[in-house]
Amino acid sequence: MTVIVETSPVTHPESDTLTERAPARRWLVVVLNDPVNLMSYVVMVFRKVFGFDETAARKHMLEVHEQGRSVLWSGPREQAEAYAYTLQQWQLTAVLESEEGDDGYASD
Amino acid sequence: MRVIEVRLSLEVVVPLLEVVTEAAELLCEEPSSAVHLASLPDDLREVWRADLVGSQKSDIHQLLGLFGEKFFEEGLVYLDEQNAEPVLRACAAVRLQLHRRQLHGLSEDELESGEIEVANLTEPLRRAFVAYLFLATLQELILSHLNPIGE
Repeated sequence: MTVIVETSPVTHPESDTLTERAPARRWLVVVLNDPVNLMSYVVMVFRKVFGFDETAARKHMLEVHEQGRSVLWSGPREQAEAYAYTLQQWQLTAVLESEEGDDGYASD
Repeated sequence: MRVIEVRLSLEVVVPLLEVVTEAAELLCEEPSSAVHLASLPDDLREVWRADLVGSQKSDIHQLLGLFGEKFFEEGLVYLDEQNAEPVLRACAAVRLQLHRRQLHGLSEDELESGEIEVANLTEPLRRAFVAYLFLATLQELILSHLNPIGE
């Protein structure tokens, strides 16, 4: 039996040459203002949930109060969901936003 | 374990408890207005909602549990490091519920400053507003004396 070994260079389909994956989509944990929760309570929750010091927690609280929203954290989806859940458990109005500005779940 | 004993006026607080209990009972079935499901994927919404209502129910149970025999006999409630966090969350939930159901007509400035001519409010609104302030006072007591940050 004769085995024919081809010696021509092996070519790869073009798409296989793009081996780097697109960076994972980042998610924002945003807290929205409400007229009900005490400022001191909101500061305590931010400190407890995110481990902020008093100054950072107050800065975010004032941003929520004055601008209506503050981005508390950004990163991978699962961790963002966990933070949003905990904040809602503490009765703060937390929402998730894709950094790209859409809800993004379909392609994530 | 740190414990704070709070002596309350039965005459003032008992009527407020009816308002608090009514709002609290609804929160054992429905999420508070803090719960936003719209930004979640479809497959997560129902589980998220159910888990949060369950957690809220447990917090509410701790809040209502403060007003037991000792309270009705002597006006005393006890706050400690174990019930501090659930009571804080339950107070927040009930305040949000009072706002959603009864106090939404009051402006943000009025609610934040607490500067409202109570005598001008209707009786149900007055009781809801005083209950709202009472729960904020409980939260302030916990934040001042039990420090949930643990420093």
